[in-house]
Amino acid sequence: MNLTRLLLRRYRVLIGAWTVLVIALSGATVSGYQTTYRTAEQRRTAVELARHNPASTFLYGRLTGPGTPASMFTWEIGAIVTVLAAVAAVLVAIAVTRAEEDDGMLELLRSCGLGGAAPLRGALAVLVLTAALWTLGCTAAVGVWTGHTDGVTWSGAVAFGAVVGLTFLVVAVLAVALAQVAPSAAGARVLGFTTVGVAFAIRAVADTRGAGRLNWLTPLGLRATVRPFAENRWWVLAVYGAVALALAGLAVALSGRREYGAGLVRRRDRRDTRLIIRSGFGLAERLARRSVIVWTVAVACVGTMFAAMGSAVVQQSRDGDLGGFLASQLGTGDPTAAYFATSGTVIGLTVSTFAVLCVLRNTQEETAGLTAQVLAAGTRRWAPLAWQVVVTALGSAVVLVATGALTALVAPTAIDGPHVAVRAFGYAVGQWPAATALAGWTALLAGLRPRLTWLAWIPLIGSGVLALLGPLLGVPARVRDLGVFQHVPDAAAAHPDLWPLLVLLALAAAAAVLGVAATTRRDLTTG
Amino acid sequence: MADQAIEVEGLVKRFGGLAAVDGLDLSVRTGEVHGFLGSNGAGKSTTVRVLLGLYRATAGRVRVFGLDPAEHAAEVTRRISYVPGEVGLWPNLTGQEVLDALAGLRGTRDQAAERRLADAFALDPRKLVRTYSKGNRQKVVLVAAFAARTDLLVLDEPTSGLDPLMEELFQSCVREAAAAGRTVLLSSHILAEVEELCESVTIIKDGRLVESGRLADMRHLAASAVTARLSQEQAAVVADRLRPLGLAGPGPVGPDLRLSVPRERIPAVLGLLAEVDARDITCTPAKLEDLFLRHYQVAAR
Repeated sequence: MNLTRLLLRRYRVLIGAWTVLVIALSGATVSGYQTTYRTAEQRRTAVELARHNPASTFLYGRLTGPGTPASMFTWEIGAIVTVLAAVAAVLVAIAVTRAEEDDGMLELLRSCGLGGAAPLRGALAVLVLTAALWTLGCTAAVGVWTGHTDGVTWSGAVAFGAVVGLTFLVVAVLAVALAQVAPSAAGARVLGFTTVGVAFAIRAVADTRGAGRLNWLTPLGLRATVRPFAENRWWVLAVYGAVALALAGLAVALSGRREYGAGLVRRRDRRDTRLIIRSGFGLAERLARRSVIVWTVAVACVGTMFAAMGSAVVQQSRDGDLGGFLASQLGTGDPTAAYFATSGTVIGLTVSTFAVLCVLRNTQEETAGLTAQVLAAGTRRWAPLAWQVVVTALGSAVVLVATGALTALVAPTAIDGPHVAVRAFGYAVGQWPAATALAGWTALLAGLRPRLTWLAWIPLIGSGVLALLGPLLGVPARVRDLGVFQHVPDAAAAHPDLWPLLVLLALAAAAAVLGVAATTRRDLTTG
Repeated sequence: MADQAIEVEGLVKRFGGLAAVDGLDLSVRTGEVHGFLGSNGAGKSTTVRVLLGLYRATAGRVRVFGLDPAEHAAEVTRRISYVPGEVGLWPNLTGQEVLDALAGLRGTRDQAAERRLADAFALDPRKLVRTYSKGNRQKVVLVAAFAARTDLLVLDEPTSGLDPLMEELFQSCVREAAAAGRTVLLSSHILAEVEELCESVTIIKDGRLVESGRLADMRHLAASAVTARLSQEQAAVVADRLRPLGLAGPGPVGPDLRLSVPRERIPAVLGLLAEVDARDITCTPAKLEDLFLRHYQVAAR
């Protein structure tokens, strides 16, 4: 129990930040679905639009049920919150298990009279407590709207909260089991995110191909199978609870079969490679190479999935009876363009996450004493951050060009319509200015105050919320335009409006230059 | 080449309200091995980071090779090899790749020397850094530092993870570097190591200079240790005659005499011991440890 408290204390910021994000997102949006649509007619139109929008079917699943604010909330926010819960589950689960071991923290604890299985039990207890906290938090945050928002009931809120908590728990325990296999914490994280990706892909196939039964196989389909506010199938929750328990048992069994500090899969720890560089750029590029490859694969998979799954639903929306109000809601009027715009937003979100993480490496290297080594070898003070920004910009470009090229190849085989390949490529690559803008903002923080680099995530999260939730929550377009992801013009248009992208690039360059200049005016951060 | 490789006058470095270094003077002649001593938290590493241009001095004049490191960090560090006390390296590179990277950043390289040193230190450079122990990580940086074509070695507690065999090798590397005309600033709290290697030392405490100079001169100024074995009668006579010199308390002295004697009194004390025919007389010049402890114990009271 003491170990559980120690872990909670050590990771209170990580767990706390995700808890706030998930619960706040759930609680703050429920009533939005009521107030945005004044009349029942308007809401019915929006529901109809959502049912025929291929991109949102791919992202969130099928909007079933009566179309009350509660069911719209479960469909859209439920999908986003459960994906966030799955991502958080991997991060938290690896942090409290393998990362703790790789850091050498656990070695000290285990020498204090703890049994071999105690650390794993402590970590599992942390995950269970977090899941319970999220269940209660989401239940309360949503349940209080009972009577104010149509369709919200306390029992439905409990089911919703349990779906969020259980999604977290199942993915987290699965990640703990994978952490016993992977050779290192970083490897375990990649395995964990791959699993989340597969879980999402299964859910997307289930919803876009009308194979709803597949949803039973994925934790991200839990929301669709439990159906909070509609059927509240409690027994599904019980089944998944049993799955979590079994996975925990598996993790404990696996942990007994491996050495401390090593996974069941051994890593290669000897190689004959050389690193011939002429400046800090070469070093930064070499250090970022692996993560660029991993992110390229991940983002290209997301883009290709979008392209491949779009076929049936784009067709459906074109055949559907979409007139007047609906057509205006689709913006450009062409469903293909709208589809790829949404796909581009998701691609932009993921590549920007890469960009922020990549620039943040500079701060991590600085506090770990690595930058000191680089500077003491005759490097200019501004160079490490500058090279990191350049590598980030180039890495983002690689990710986006690869993704754009692959989707441009796949999309025409799945979707027919005008300029499919051009649009698939354009909407992906067009996110580059957004990614560099967020990288520049991160560089500004890293240059000025390494302690404040957590602020790097704020515009990313804000822009994501505005882009994904803005339309259905009725956020005014002026406010939505403050986000960075929705400025990509239609590449097939006669005169694409490139000004917003140029503004983003100018902001990126200015912020990066200021950040790099700021490093020369402050002490190196150490320890 | 300038006569002084490092010149520091009145260096002050504040972090918020705390002065980590408070008016320090330090001067290191070109070509000498200079010991930099102080307890944990005395300000050694802070000073070293100012010398490398990693920290900017709050006040004072700092010159390395005649340049201000805050303004010309790259020009200065290109001629410096730095070994930090806590060696952090990129965990997903091999030792060889780290050597490649550091040499690549510097732009000049002596691969033959690197290979020779890696062999001597029994370092397997093909292994990933994350599998290295603390000592092995330190070896990577030591190999890079000694093999680089630099004029000044700044070693900040470089041997804290090395075993005695490697410590021996480290000392011969420092001597070799000095013989080749390179300047060495060795920050340490292993006094035997400094005593073995350094011609001059600077002792600092709470960020201030307490003593600096050639080790030989400092030994002269300090008290020497005199020991002898005495019979009971001899002890009584010796105690009586030591008292006027202020070297013995009111009680009798034991059969194993052990005295700390200022330099000017040594002839008198040795004469006295010879006169009473004491056995096993030894006279040892002050050790660095005595110099060091004197400054630290005085303050501790």
